Amino acid sequence: MDVELIEIREFLASHSPFDRLPDSALDALPQRLSVRYLRRGTPFPPTDDDSPCLYILRRGAVELRDDGDNLIGKLAEGDLCPSPCGQGGLGMEGLSGQTAEDTLAYLLPCEVLDRLRGAHTEFASHFDASMSDRLRRALDTIKDDATGTALMTVQVGELLNRPLVHGGPDISIRDAARIMSEARVSSLVLTDGDRLVGMITDRDLRNRCLALGVSPQEPVRRIMTERLHTVREDTLGFEALITMSRLNVHHLPVLDERGVRGVVSTSDLVRIQSANAVYLVGDIRKAESLDTLASISARLSELQIQLVHSGATASQIGQAITAVTDAITLRLLELAEAELGAPPVPYCWMAGGSQARREQSSHSDQDNALLIADHLKPEDDAYFKALAQRVNDGLNACGYVYCPGDVMASNDQWRQPLKIWTKYFNTWIKRPEPMALMLSSVFFDLRPIHDPAGLFNELAERIHHMSRQETIYIAYMAANALKHRPPLGFFRKLVLIRGGEHDQTFDIKHRGIVPIVDLARVYALSAGLEDINTIERLKAAGEARALSKDGAANLVDAYEFIGTLRMRHQAEQLKRGTQADNFLSPDDLSPLERGHLKDAFALIHTMQESLGQRYQAGRFA
Amino acid sequence: MSALPLDWRRRWRLRRLAACPLRDYLAAPFPQPGCDYKAVEYVAVDLETTGLNARRDQILSIGWVRITGNRIHLDSCRHRLVRVTGDIPADSAVIHQITDDEAARGLELASALPELLADLAGRVLIAHHARVELGFLDAACRRLWGKGLLVRTVDTQAVARRLLERRQIPFKASDLRLHALCERYNLPRHGAHNALSDAFAAAELFLAQAAHRDNGHGMQLGDFL
Repeated sequence: MDVELIEIREFLASHSPFDRLPDSALDALPQRLSVRYLRRGTPFPPTDDDSPCLYILRRGAVELRDDGDNLIGKLAEGDLCPSPCGQGGLGMEGLSGQTAEDTLAYLLPCEVLDRLRGAHTEFASHFDASMSDRLRRALDTIKDDATGTALMTVQVGELLNRPLVHGGPDISIRDAARIMSEARVSSLVLTDGDRLVGMITDRDLRNRCLALGVSPQEPVRRIMTERLHTVREDTLGFEALITMSRLNVHHLPVLDERGVRGVVSTSDLVRIQSANAVYLVGDIRKAESLDTLASISARLSELQIQLVHSGATASQIGQAITAVTDAITLRLLELAEAELGAPPVPYCWMAGGSQARREQSSHSDQDNALLIADHLKPEDDAYFKALAQRVNDGLNACGYVYCPGDVMASNDQWRQPLKIWTKYFNTWIKRPEPMALMLSSVFFDLRPIHDPAGLFNELAERIHHMSRQETIYIAYMAANALKHRPPLGFFRKLVLIRGGEHDQTFDIKHRGIVPIVDLARVYALSAGLEDINTIERLKAAGEARALSKDGAANLVDAYEFIGTLRMRHQAEQLKRGTQADNFLSPDDLSPLERGHLKDAFALIHTMQESLGQRYQAGRFA
Repeated sequence: MSALPLDWRRRWRLRRLAACPLRDYLAAPFPQPGCDYKAVEYVAVDLETTGLNARRDQILSIGWVRITGNRIHLDSCRHRLVRVTGDIPADSAVIHQITDDEAARGLELASALPELLADLAGRVLIAHHARVELGFLDAACRRLWGKGLLVRTVDTQAVARRLLERRQIPFKASDLRLHALCERYNLPRHGAHNALSDAFAAAELFLAQAAHRDNGHGMQLGDFL
């Protein structure tokens, strides 16, 4: 192939969906193209095309607007423009476009495109009829990509969930022990530059230092193991375990081409099997102190990482993590009652927000409240205040930081008897005010965690009864549900925001997840449904015709897709040992993920618009 | 050189030539300067040569690609290595990176040139700094068939210079180089220094120049000549 065509072939091969074509099809593609240059400000598609074709942008940018002249997308290098080709593909109906920069485009005739779609299924799926199909397929791909957690398939490199802890061979034994204790590791790699020179373990400190009376001031070199067995990062888990038992060691340094990357221990390998919610919950039930609970909850990030690796979706991960949070909450209540004695009157510990919805990621904030039986005497509150304080402090120590909005049982306002809670909800429902709307995401998502006397049912029934008679508050909540808007999509390395602004990163929680959670809450409340979990709410609302079944199914897929990207993003951060956050940059996403995310954003936008019209949300905003 | 005499000279020369590829080429009328430039077909051409003297130096490779109106057709990309007599001077090999061995595998000019002429028939030649291409092609035709090349030509460098002069924008000679102009028009950088790459770059540059000059009221081929 000629140099020029090779260059164009490489360009196509590096962009979706052409990256999914086999080599032979890619080789033949460049010579089917023609090239056009459109000056900035040229209407798009140009009016002088004699035959229909797909525009592939090589340089420059194209802006797309809807019939109300609102910017709905901005395309750049490597993007495909809407085309008149074939059924199903994204067309220009209802859209108008214009080049925003001087633009060079490759034109692929529709007939060639149609033939490629006929011959290559994977390629064709990009152009599939509905964006919901594409989303569903993307979700399936995520599940397929799962590496599995079993020892047979996991590579030891994937188990290295923290940055390497290492020191020089000439530091003192005491300093080495201090590094290990601060980093909470049982072994320390000793390096000279990039070169691995030795390792010490907890056992070495005991056997070669303390037992022999070696001074802790001595250099650690004196007690280190020099001749080490190592494994490569792509060594399989079970091979590493066999090596360990053969050599009777508990730690193996893991190497990659640059040098030592970390240490894998027997407990890491055993934990693959045990880092699941069931094991953690079992450990939590047996925990006798807050310290033990805190050290167990420290493994939640590991749980999230493992679940992401095993191909779990966001909702599965949310369920698993929330199960652990519930168990910790219950255990903290038991420990507090053991200390304070039995409660003077029955109470119900309620969780709000993401814990109530079973949608937590590792270490969400805490939101909770206390519902107390009405025959509570004024002097009894001291007991519940102490109980609440212990549990809130305990949760904080376990990584569920105090609620920034102070929605916690230790706050007097949220530790009340049934009759006061009834009054609260009555006010929120009858006179929806900004404050009430802010709290609605917490208090209309409420779930009893510990409720031996069954107090919660009574409250739930009263809320249900009140909300049946008042519909105005749903209109307010609908308006509230439109506050968090998804971005439009991506433009080069930037996030494109409605109105045409750009940003380097976007908050996937507030711009992707919260909008769907808010929508689901409104649908559920408007249909009088008692579901709390977002996916369950959406499915039930679809059944109850609070929205179309398709709309519900598509939102479920969008929610799962966005949520799973978020979980993966956080798992990557946790693995690197950094704080997990919600800020994604377009650079972190593959072109395919960007495409699917854009579909999901478009869907959220459509659903928000239609909700807004139904409740004429503008009146209440 | 006004329009009528060029076509007149074409017919004159056609009558005086015996059957040969040059005669076949001359049999097709040249596009008229009064035509809408979008209705005209073009061929962007670039040559790599052993030096700059058309009478002494030789053609090493020819690259060309066709344009219809405002579209480049990638299926028309052609790149031909030409066999040379004698060694390739080292200093030119550094630029075009064609080695003696590669050149030895090339075609005879007598079979490469007719292929270009067949594509060029009835079309306008586009080249950047066209004097070099015209000089070498003219000399080659004379050697092979006894008569020089007649062709209507758009020189993208001349178009660029006229544009800058008309707008009274000061410029350096280096601003008129192919790659500098491509950058100015937001065109992609082409990798290798190769006859086809440069022909392609000139083709893209022509599209850009045409798009920038076209104000929607129609332009004629003559506006670029």
